[in-house]
Amino acid sequence: MDNSGKEKEATALMAEAEKKVKSSQSFFGSLFGGSSKMEDACDLYGRAANMFKMAKNWSASGNAFSQAALLHLQMQSKHDAATNFIDAGNAFKKSDPQEAINCLNRAIEIYTDMGRFTIAAKHHVTIAEIYETELVDIDKAIAHYEQAADYYKGEESTSSANKCLLKVATYAAQLEQYPKATEIYEQVATHAMDSTLLKYSAKDYFFKAALCHFCVDMLNAKLAVQKYEEMFPAFSDSRECKLVKKLLDAFEEQNVDAYTDAVKEYDTISRLDQWLTTMLLCIKKSLQDDESDLR
Amino acid sequence: MSSDFETYEQDFGTLTADVTNKIGRIPKLAGEEKTQLVLNVDKQLEEVRELLEQMDLEVREIPIQSRGMYSSRLKSYKQEMEKLEKDFKRSRIAYSDEVRNELLGDDGGSSESQLIKLREERAHLLDNTERLERSSRRLEAGYQIAVETEQVGQEILANLHSDREKIQRSRDRLRETDANLGKSSRILTSMLRRIIQNRVLVFILGAIILLTIVLAIYFNLRGH
Repeated sequence: MDNSGKEKEATALMAEAEKKVKSSQSFFGSLFGGSSKMEDACDLYGRAANMFKMAKNWSASGNAFSQAALLHLQMQSKHDAATNFIDAGNAFKKSDPQEAINCLNRAIEIYTDMGRFTIAAKHHVTIAEIYETELVDIDKAIAHYEQAADYYKGEESTSSANKCLLKVATYAAQLEQYPKATEIYEQVATHAMDSTLLKYSAKDYFFKAALCHFCVDMLNAKLAVQKYEEMFPAFSDSRECKLVKKLLDAFEEQNVDAYTDAVKEYDTISRLDQWLTTMLLCIKKSLQDDESDLR
Repeated sequence: MSSDFETYEQDFGTLTADVTNKIGRIPKLAGEEKTQLVLNVDKQLEEVRELLEQMDLEVREIPIQSRGMYSSRLKSYKQEMEKLEKDFKRSRIAYSDEVRNELLGDDGGSSESQLIKLREERAHLLDNTERLERSSRRLEAGYQIAVETEQVGQEILANLHSDREKIQRSRDRLRETDANLGKSSRILTSMLRRIIQNRVLVFILGAIILLTIVLAIYFNLRGH
């Protein structure tokens, strides 16, 4: 009951706002304080959109916000336009992802025009997340994450940049773009080594980088592991390093059982997550292929 | 000659058998009987020693060719005697099962008690093994938890790091905004001043114009 009442109010407000806009575009309107009329119209659109939100009518709310944003653009107030586009994007996220992405893209354009790269980066991340979850388009998601990371780097917030880069690397490795993933992991790991807060995560990154090397070529992996140990002595004590060494040995001897045993042993202590399992399986398959080739 | 040797052998045999018997009995006895038996055995061992010496002399009288067999026999008898002496010495300080039983009360069937003891020990050992396994399982679980804690810690630290950067950025932006606000307030004050100046000017000009008009009218009227 309450919702439908709100909706009716909201639609009434929208109609009023449209009338105002039309009237302001006529001759007299532009003479007699047309801008204030447009501001009123924007205000009305905003209120209508909020009411639609209360009634949980997300698409209508998104529409109202976009209208408001367009009006703001006409009035040359970019900030307000961008804010309204963001609101529209949020509203559309719940109903129509594609429309949401459009709104967010427009908002990002405005922000980059104004030079506010941090906010633009944040919204790139939002878009990438939408691609990840709702539209499941991993390539576009990667592209957006990369863009976000670049903006963050430009604004000297390496931590947020690293966060985005890590996501890029995870997906790249899943899509078998191993060189890219390896590079990113090494970069992030070297950066983490130097920071007091992050050095406990560094060994994790080195481990992932080593695995990516492994997927490509075993010798690479060996050299890489040695390099990492030199750079970061604490890495050699970690269980992950020991696991990698065991895997390397098993690979040299072409012994699938030893490989499986080492992996199982590691699993008993700390469960392997999805990404790790996929990578290790890929390496195991290449090991089995090698074996069958030799036979 | 050899017949003497043989009689000596027979005597030796009987004596040693007797001595062995008595040695077997010694640990079981105590006190008076024991000391008597000990003296007995001592005497018999002396006799055995004398027998051996006589056998030795006999063997020396035998011609060298056939001496071999007798001398080897003699050697074995000597060894036997030495063993008897050792046993005798040991028996004097040996403990016997019977004495122990007298002390602790006769259990009857000793093999049964041994079985029971074995079963108890086995149960005890199994219990120990189980306790060890339980503790090692708990240790492993503890280790797992420690590793998980470490991972959670890593995530938290990464979050803290990025939050730190955000806060620093906000602080810088805040200072910038503050400076900008200061600038804008200065501009506004200067605008206000200029407006006041303009108004003052307008009033002055208006006054002058009024004055000029009044003067013009006055001179016109004067001119008429």
